[in-house]
Amino acid sequence: MNMKKFAALLLAALMVLTLAACGAASSSAAGAASGAAVTDDPQTTEEAAALYAKLMDQENALLSENTDLWDKVYLQANKGMAMVEDGKNYGDFLLDTIEAAKSEFSAEELEVLTKAAGEIRDIENQLTALEEKFPDCQQAYMNGGASVSPEEGSLQKFPAFEGKDLDGNTVNSDDLFSANAVTVVNFWFTACKPCVGELSDLDALNRELAEKGGALIGINTTTLNGDEASIAEAKEVLAKKGASYQNVYFDASGAAGAFIQNIFAYPTTYVVDRSGNIVGDPIMGAITEKNQAEALQKLIDQALAADAG
Amino acid sequence: MCYDSGRKMKRVMNLSHIRKTAVQALLLIAGAAMLCFGAWRGEAATVLSKAINLCLECVGIG
Amino acid sequence: MDNKNSCRASLLLARFRGWVQAGAALLTNLHLPNFFRGRLYQGAGKAVCVPGLNCYSCPAASGACPIGAFQAVVGSSKFRFSYYITGTLILLGVLLGRFICGFLCPFGWFQELLHKLPTKKLSTRKLRPLTYLKYAVLLVMVVLLPALTVNEVGMGDPFFCKYLCPQGVLEGAIPLSLTNAGIRAALGTLFTRKLSILLTVAVLSVVFYRPFCKWLCPLGAFYALLNKVSLFQMQVDPNKCISCGKCAKACQMDVDITKTPNHTECIRCGMCVRACPTHAVAFRYGFGNGRQNTTETTMED
Repeated sequence: MNMKKFAALLLAALMVLTLAACGAASSSAAGAASGAAVTDDPQTTEEAAALYAKLMDQENALLSENTDLWDKVYLQANKGMAMVEDGKNYGDFLLDTIEAAKSEFSAEELEVLTKAAGEIRDIENQLTALEEKFPDCQQAYMNGGASVSPEEGSLQKFPAFEGKDLDGNTVNSDDLFSANAVTVVNFWFTACKPCVGELSDLDALNRELAEKGGALIGINTTTLNGDEASIAEAKEVLAKKGASYQNVYFDASGAAGAFIQNIFAYPTTYVVDRSGNIVGDPIMGAITEKNQAEALQKLIDQALAADAG
Repeated sequence: MCYDSGRKMKRVMNLSHIRKTAVQALLLIAGAAMLCFGAWRGEAATVLSKAINLCLECVGIG
Repeated sequence: MDNKNSCRASLLLARFRGWVQAGAALLTNLHLPNFFRGRLYQGAGKAVCVPGLNCYSCPAASGACPIGAFQAVVGSSKFRFSYYITGTLILLGVLLGRFICGFLCPFGWFQELLHKLPTKKLSTRKLRPLTYLKYAVLLVMVVLLPALTVNEVGMGDPFFCKYLCPQGVLEGAIPLSLTNAGIRAALGTLFTRKLSILLTVAVLSVVFYRPFCKWLCPLGAFYALLNKVSLFQMQVDPNKCISCGKCAKACQMDVDITKTPNHTECIRCGMCVRACPTHAVAFRYGFGNGRQNTTETTMED
């Protein structure tokens, strides 16, 4: 009996812990998203890499502020007036170069450049100190590990496919993605109620995207391999819901077919950029939910902005 | 119901025993038949397609 | 069946019920590594129903939930009724009855474990009318609403799963959202509502014995209807019974086994078997009525 009581208590404790973990996990995810994870006094290599990334960003911002002037500086540097010596502070190198070529600039320009180069020198000093303390942090920064979040750091290609749309026209993923600034790919199947429920919303989104140079396509997983009956059913449902955007199918044996094997929550919606990379995390669940629609819009805007810039 | 006579009770007992056995056998046959008919008309496939994918609305997500 | 042997077997079965429950919960959720991988088992086993209330959206689930599956079939555009699931449930109900609730159902076990927490316990005897609620849940939320309230394509919502079932949150949403960021992002108001149902049931389970089984479970309701004709039965030996009333006192489902051995609420947990000082109460498996308890069953009719 005591054993049982103990087991019961253990179970209860476990339950509380899982719930607590649930809350903690979501809050930490939120924290990472807002990008507030950079500390000024790093303890671990990850934190150091994050700080490293922040400093590099600052330096790059300084250098990109007056690109015309800096180009002039680089031109002078290329003439061999000063060389970047191994271990020499890049800020010092810039200051030397500016000093040597000060006849080329106006007094105002000189002031701007010297000030920026001085700041860069300070940043470089901090970076050197960081590298001494955490020898691996530069490597970690290069790997993109701590720049934002691991998911966003690594680019994932949407698997290539060659298939047909439900009307029998050939569709090639490379052509499709490169023709659009952003492509929203919605995975669904006919017997999935939330999937069917969002079809008209998706159609509206497709029309909206068309104005911005994007497109939305559907992939009905039951129509893979071109099963006639499934295609007829899918077309009927699409017609009933007034969805006119392109729905494609392909061979389940290919890379895209294997990709679908790993999708287990329907509907799932991916955002793909012009070069065929997946943008952000896939949206699970129908976009009829307000927060899911907002999350999707964010990814679309992100892809459109990247395409424009 | 009230059974005051011993003899009557015994008869009811036997009847009820037979009746219950019959009901049980009938239900088992009916159950098996329904199961087979349902599977034959494709219900098992519907169950499978629902069960292998996460039912978002079932678990309280969508 | 030899009377003495059946007595001993009944006692053993009743005593090791906890282990049977644990084993059944494990068999129902065999694919444990999926908890860590954050995905579902997708094999052919999912076409077959498990006996207990066990969400098929649980990462480890080895089969389909009968109630979820019924709603899936009824709510699909192709069918309005499920012979497949009804047949399965009739077979299970006649072969085992509410023995499934007492021994095989993971959610029943979950409630029982919570009830073992050492607090003040309350009796549900006065709340007897609430036991009829589960039949309404079965009829309205499982059978009628999913089949009748359909969208333009003819598909209905799984009303019980969507709005009531706490097992889906416990086994599906919580473990999946812990390991899967996409699922976590999708949690919305529906999740909050269902989580509060789960928490309510959990809290009630601590003070009441199996509140969900007694009042709400549509699966328990179906098995309850078949409990009277189930092959798995209780039998009371009138020659041994000394009418001490210990069995009725021990019963947490508020059944007096000497009066109604095959009551709809009896989940065959065997607490009466263990409580009986003269070993007059035993399990019985077979067609028809046992020799000793015929009078009781006829009177119940």
